Amino acid sequence: MNSSALIHAVIDGVLTGSVYALMATGLTLIFGVMDIINVAQGIFVILGAYLSYALSVHWGIDPFVGLAITIPTLFFVGIAVEKAFFGRLKGPEKTAMSILVTYAISLVIEGTLNMVFTVNYVQIQAWYVNKSFRLFGVWFPYIYVFGFIMAAIMLSGLYILLYRTRFGASIRASLADQTAAALVGIDVRRVSTICFGIGIALTAPGGMIFGATNTFNASTSYDLISRLLTIIVLGGMGSLGGALLAGILMVTLEDLVGVIWSPVWSTLSFFLVLVIVLSVRPQGLFGKQSARVA
Amino acid sequence: MLLQKKNLLWVVALVIALFVPQMITNPAYRQIAVITLIFTACTTSWNMFSGYSGYVALGSAAFYGTGAYTMALVANHMHVPGNGDMFWLVPLGGLAAVLVAIPVGLVALRVRRHTFVVITIAIFFVFQLSAINANFTGGTGGLTLPYVPWQIQNYHLPFYYVALVVLVFAILLSAGVRRSRFGLQLLAIRDDEDRALGLGVKVFQVKLTGFAMSAFTFGMGGALYAMMQGQIYPQFVFDPMFDITIALMAFFGGFGTLLGPIIGGLVLESAQQYLTVTYSNGSLYLILFGVLFLLVILFMPQGIVVFVRDRMAQRQDRLESATKPASTETPVAQGVHS
Amino acid sequence: MKRKGKLFRAFGATSVAAVTAMTMAATTTSGAASNGTLAKGAPVTIGISLSLSGDFSADGLAYQQGYKLWAADVNRAGGLLGHPVKLDIVSDASSPTQVVTNYQKLISTDHVNLTFGPFSTLLTLPAAQTVNRYGYAMIEGAGGGPSVFQAGLKNVFDVTLPVAYDLQPFAKWLTSLPASTRPKTISYVTSNDPFTQPVVQEAQKLIGKSVKTVYNNVFPAEATDFTSIADAVAAAKAQVVVLGSVDVPTVSAFMQAFEQAHYTPEAFIATAGPDQGAAFIKAVGAKNADGMMVPNSWYGQSKNPQSMKMVAEYVKQYGGTAAGVNADIAEAYAVGQVMAQAVTATKGFDNSKIIKYLHSGVTLNSVQGSVKFNALGMNTAQTAYTFQWQGSKFVEVNPVGDPGAVKILFPKPAWGN
Repeated sequence: MNSSALIHAVIDGVLTGSVYALMATGLTLIFGVMDIINVAQGIFVILGAYLSYALSVHWGIDPFVGLAITIPTLFFVGIAVEKAFFGRLKGPEKTAMSILVTYAISLVIEGTLNMVFTVNYVQIQAWYVNKSFRLFGVWFPYIYVFGFIMAAIMLSGLYILLYRTRFGASIRASLADQTAAALVGIDVRRVSTICFGIGIALTAPGGMIFGATNTFNASTSYDLISRLLTIIVLGGMGSLGGALLAGILMVTLEDLVGVIWSPVWSTLSFFLVLVIVLSVRPQGLFGKQSARVA
Repeated sequence: MLLQKKNLLWVVALVIALFVPQMITNPAYRQIAVITLIFTACTTSWNMFSGYSGYVALGSAAFYGTGAYTMALVANHMHVPGNGDMFWLVPLGGLAAVLVAIPVGLVALRVRRHTFVVITIAIFFVFQLSAINANFTGGTGGLTLPYVPWQIQNYHLPFYYVALVVLVFAILLSAGVRRSRFGLQLLAIRDDEDRALGLGVKVFQVKLTGFAMSAFTFGMGGALYAMMQGQIYPQFVFDPMFDITIALMAFFGGFGTLLGPIIGGLVLESAQQYLTVTYSNGSLYLILFGVLFLLVILFMPQGIVVFVRDRMAQRQDRLESATKPASTETPVAQGVHS
Repeated sequence: MKRKGKLFRAFGATSVAAVTAMTMAATTTSGAASNGTLAKGAPVTIGISLSLSGDFSADGLAYQQGYKLWAADVNRAGGLLGHPVKLDIVSDASSPTQVVTNYQKLISTDHVNLTFGPFSTLLTLPAAQTVNRYGYAMIEGAGGGPSVFQAGLKNVFDVTLPVAYDLQPFAKWLTSLPASTRPKTISYVTSNDPFTQPVVQEAQKLIGKSVKTVYNNVFPAEATDFTSIADAVAAAKAQVVVLGSVDVPTVSAFMQAFEQAHYTPEAFIATAGPDQGAAFIKAVGAKNADGMMVPNSWYGQSKNPQSMKMVAEYVKQYGGTAAGVNADIAEAYAVGQVMAQAVTATKGFDNSKIIKYLHSGVTLNSVQGSVKFNALGMNTAQTAYTFQWQGSKFVEVNPVGDPGAVKILFPKPAWGN
């Protein structure tokens, strides 16, 4: 093992980790506001990847430009799904039920994607997908750097929305306490619907980068969702900053274990860290001290 | 009087179950019957912890897989011959699962419900990945068990009856827990954990005991499956879909009820296996399954048992106001098959 | 409490209904293998479970095409002993539990006369054990992992060369290079899959110390993000890379990471992926494929006359080019051919006779070349080849001196040129 491999692992970890963080942010936002564990987030990422792929293959639209189409599309898909299914979910088992509902949704989407795109693996292609540039003696693949920049922009945008707008204040109030938010006159239902839309919309850029850096088909979503869930729990469920940091930390750690020890154990380390952290800090890295009891 | 009548119905169900293999002689359907029994037992057991306590576990496949690997490893290393003797390893698989469940519970049960769901998934992956990557588990190649040279005509019979014993055990355990003080404590946790704590319930011990107890059936189910299958692979005995299926069955039948998981398991697992065998368009099957699943959750969110019970209560009220005797069988059958 | 009593009655009613439904579904039963006689002109049914969804679905679908192509050819020629061939294909969604149920259903409910294998070693083993209980032969083309043969089953026959031998010609070529031109360093990296690990280990044994190992690692089979592993291989900068891969995405991920790291090995061989024809080119791009090598026992431009005929039919029916024909197609087709020869020789569909015949040491032929089974059911008569993409053509380069072989492209050109 040499130091250049270590440096590479850290760079890879930070660059790809930021994209995972972006996808995980959507998941944790949905959970924080709605108490819904959206296990369909993985398949939505793949849906986002397929949308970008289809735009680039059929109309030659650059994947980054295509985001102008895919982000709003997924936002409205999210709104529609929320309206159709989650208004009905109530009661103490809401969170548990939400897992089943979103799992069913992911099955439907998976089946549909299999029919439309077949199960053959594809990858999003563009000039920058296989090219890289050299800086300080290290090769930086363009796609990872672009992905990192995009994730940073998206997350800053989300930050501005949350902390600099009136609507953002309502979201934060709902994140903190839904009952109290409703009491001060916030339309929690509406906030929930829009948050779900935003959470799903974030899978469009995440999926685009994922699809350009990996070959994928619909069943790739299973691997994704388990990683995303691990990230948001580690960060503290409902904590946006936690998801960001945990995403980057986890992926970097995974890459480092792969280089230092063996790739065989890198995925395992991902889950093991979660178990260890939670046995010390049950609320996750940035979770609220006393997590809510449903 | 009422109690006797109720017991009688259980006896009738058991007698029917005993004669199922005489009615179904086709090995393919007998195999489905055995798998259905194993899944129903696991669902009953899952519900005994998750349903009563409200802590939804999605990592129970870790215990199922532990049982399967215990069966395979012990049978191979102790040179257990490929015959009925292997059945003695089934309770051993259960025991191994309990031993594994205790440390898992010590970590996972420290967190509250929502996090619990995800941490059980993470722990499950730790088990699956360890089985894939460790040496003694045979890696991705899995383990081959001693070949049981029984003729196909009656191959499944012993498995069927052992699986039935496991199911009866799981039902008795679940019913016993439900009626006990311990069961009430679990239910109290489900209703309001902080209050239960305030009332002096040793919340953590109660959760841990329930969690470990439920692992026993999973371990036995996994061991039995491994023996019947003859070959196990890490990604299929530690299967993430296992828990989704179990949870679906429990919710389909009625989360937290005694009867619900039994009905959910019997109906869904046999239907799913049968449909997969009969219709094999993978993608279409996924879509249909997903849609059906959504409809059930959205229109019968509390499961069939509660749905039917409520409908019958309504009907009963109507009928009583019309002063007519109630006929119960028809609406039940409709409810189940719709 | 009254309500509860009714519910339990409901339970009774459910059980009765479920049992009735299952009994109705299972009215006809049979256990034993068919005695091998069929009514004149009655179709002969062949039961197959394939992964039409799930992890192995890409290969499962290719196998389906291969089996169907064979059946169509046989039927055009008058069927097997005058009986038209009917394929009964069910999907197992890549699950070993389902594969067992499927073969039981195929034999006991559908009363198929013969069985062909599913895709991959993982599913072949439970499938072969199951049909063995019925006394059926399992002829298959994709269960070449050692575990299948170690199980000691007498009814399993793999028409394809056992995978462990795949890299022999490549290892021979590499070690036979004069010391002045022979690469000095080599990296081995493989998925911990029962299909690839034995192949890479065998190659490592053969190459031994004649090329220095600078990187040797195993990565988990379930990985989907290969960036860090590939970067670690790139950082080792070996002149030769041997990659134990099971599919296109794995190879594609490594190629992409190598290109991004501006690292071009002089020779790069992957155990599977580059053999997927058009699917491979589509994933990696024609330019990048140049110089990529893959071991296999068959390829689309094979000069074997049976193979040429099959490829022409395939291209006519499904489009594409000869080079783009997936090797799975030939494996599946060869399964059918071997069965046809066994049926013809034993003059019937009696599985015990077929098993005995195939164990008799007779040499058969197929689109993949000669077929001769040893006691374990391995095909020992076939040769392994190494193939390489050269300027968007997929050509045979090894064994050296083989009439079909062209000169190997070495060192491999830089990415994207």
